[in-house]
Amino acid sequence: MKTVSFKTLGCRLNQYETDALLTQFHQAGYQVVDYSSPADITVINTCTVTNQSDQKSRNTISNAARKNKNGLVVVTGCMANNHKEQLESNEQVTYVVDNERKSQIVPLIDAHFKGEMIHPDSFSRDVFGFETVDQSLHTRTAIKVQDGCDNFCTYCIVPSVRGRAVSRPIGQILENVRSVIDNGFKEIVITGVNIGRYDHDGLRLEAAIEKILELPGDFRVRISSLEPDGFGPEFHRLFQHPKMTPHMHLCIQSGSDPILLKMRRMYTVKSFMNIIEKFRSEIPDFNFTTDVIVGFPGETEADFQLSLDLVKEAQFSHVHTFRYSRRKGTRADRMDDQLEEKIKNQRSERVRKQAEENRLSYMQSMLGKRQRVLVERVDGKGMARGYGEHYLPVNFLTERRDRNWFTELTLDGIEPGESPTMKASVI
Amino acid sequence: MQMMNVEVEKTVFVLEQVRHLTESTYVLRFSRNEMQFLPGQHLALGLPGAKELREYSIYSGVHDDFLEVLIKEVDDGIVSRQLKNISKGDEILVRGPRGFFLTPAAVSKPGKLLFISSGTGLAPFHSFVRSYPDSDYSIVHGGRNISEAYDLEDYKKELFTICTSRGDKGDFPGRLTDFLLQNELDPKARVYLCGNSNMIYDAMDILHAKGLPQKQVFTEVYF
Ligand SMILES: Cc1cc2nc3c(=O)[nH]c(=O)nc-3n(C[C@H](O)[C@H](O)[C@H](O)COP(=O)(O)OP(=O)(O)OC[C@H]3O[C@@H](n4cnc5c(N)ncnc54)[C@H](O)[C@@H]3O)c2cc1C
Repeated sequence: MKTVSFKTLGCRLNQYETDALLTQFHQAGYQVVDYSSPADITVINTCTVTNQSDQKSRNTISNAARKNKNGLVVVTGCMANNHKEQLESNEQVTYVVDNERKSQIVPLIDAHFKGEMIHPDSFSRDVFGFETVDQSLHTRTAIKVQDGCDNFCTYCIVPSVRGRAVSRPIGQILENVRSVIDNGFKEIVITGVNIGRYDHDGLRLEAAIEKILELPGDFRVRISSLEPDGFGPEFHRLFQHPKMTPHMHLCIQSGSDPILLKMRRMYTVKSFMNIIEKFRSEIPDFNFTTDVIVGFPGETEADFQLSLDLVKEAQFSHVHTFRYSRRKGTRADRMDDQLEEKIKNQRSERVRKQAEENRLSYMQSMLGKRQRVLVERVDGKGMARGYGEHYLPVNFLTERRDRNWFTELTLDGIEPGESPTMKASVI
Repeated sequence: MQMMNVEVEKTVFVLEQVRHLTESTYVLRFSRNEMQFLPGQHLALGLPGAKELREYSIYSGVHDDFLEVLIKEVDDGIVSRQLKNISKGDEILVRGPRGFFLTPAAVSKPGKLLFISSGTGLAPFHSFVRSYPDSDYSIVHGGRNISEAYDLEDYKKELFTICTSRGDKGDFPGRLTDFLLQNELDPKARVYLCGNSNMIYDAMDILHAKGLPQKQVFTEVYF
């Protein structure tokens, strides 16, 4: 039996697509092995969103090639789109498969072992052609509803590597949800590159989620990352539904309006805060997390201070901080006033500290509250770990040793550390 | 609401006409190739084989059987200068249409629309007015002098205000932002701003100070 291993870099969508590929390989009779073990095939699902991610992707490719001297190295993901020619001329790489053909890697490899060398580009494009992920991998799975982005934010390379926005037909989405629930998943995450642009025959994201919520079964729904201009004024109503989880990763990027305009982000700080206030007026402990870019060209100390103030004011419980990274072909790369790395590092550190404070204070505000935790794993001593509906990690003691079940708990402590965790007891 | 984003397969279009409006600003007209678009959408253009593409708002209307863009040659720019040197019969690389800028105005019931632009930021409004000449619009456009009121005859004169910061032949001698400060604003109008980000930021500040709700304000930033 041929062995296959996987390495994923970057976003949640990539993670989902790797899980789906892994399932496809397993179903096709390959043995999936840990990335640290030697394998006949190594699939590297790369990321190119920053220079750092390019570097990480390159290092991973070299390591995989060194580790598996006679194995195949398949490179896919956004770097395969952004640096296709460079990767194709890299002797360590056997196949370079772009995002549009990622779901075709199994037939490509099957053909390879039958002695047919097919160029990946001869497969048809299908960004939604993935198998339902196997439940043995996680308790939570992504449902890909959309791919691509047409927003053309001035810093972002994604539109040129993920292509134009396309929406998956609602029938396919519902079928996918039904099948993952039948497979035993208890939590689904609505995922895409820019899900707020979901529009299939006039059906927008709100309506698509409503249809998912109508499906029977004991499962809950989480929204992955969302852009602030990606939904209508009634979107908050969805969260009244018992299956919806009160958490959203809403990307602000900057707390300064002039910088938001230079980024071509189509909202203002005020309109963003209005969204937060609206949600929290209905669900006061609603958990917001976000992305912030520091060191965008022309970002002054005053602009940055506005971002820092906003992180505090909005009480994001987690902030994914990006130091602005120049990407060739983007508008921001051609802007004057590029900032030194040193300033970006300092600003990133200041956001990190504020975000840490926010996280602790959010956790403290949750003490004494009930959470419905989905158990993801239990260790030999009965210490279980999972996530509550607000997307806080929770540890608690249990007699059970299995995973993938819901339990009602009261949050009664915080375990400090680099990534603090809530402690809880059974009600 | 559904987007009419029918992206044409064919990406090489043939230039039919170049019209020079000023020393630096010109209109390129090329074959439509059945492309469907909404006013406010833009195309990415470049020379065939060239790596650099830039976005340009569609200038022509939805009923025109050609496509047009309005371009200002930028000092030290790359694509805006390359495109200035092409002539009738030459090929041009076209991607699109893309974007959502005027979509709410174009597809929902017409109400009062206020269009605010600077420089070539007038382009999407030209497309809109050519497409829906009877809609309830007015335009406040800023430029250095009257020559930046491109193709003025395409608008109803009384609905177009040109603010000239360096000349005195416009309707309002002074900056666009001064015009906004000094004039009343319909609080129900939906306002669309297009052009450079500094102008948009200053204008938005004034609109907010005058009580216009953010949800009625839409922006398209060129640079
Ligand atoms: C969605 C969108 C639509 C656009 N539509 C139009 C349009 O209809 N007409 C048009 O002329 N331009 C438009 N632009 C700007 C255009 O895409 C290019 O940026 C511009 O033509 C300069 O390109 P370049 O390669 O010559 O110079 P670059 O090397 O890309 O830019 C050099 C510098 O010129 C400045 N600049 C950019 N655009 C302008 C401008 N229009 N006027 C003055 N200075 C500028 C910027 O500071 C930029 O850093 C649009 C931009 C966007 C994002």
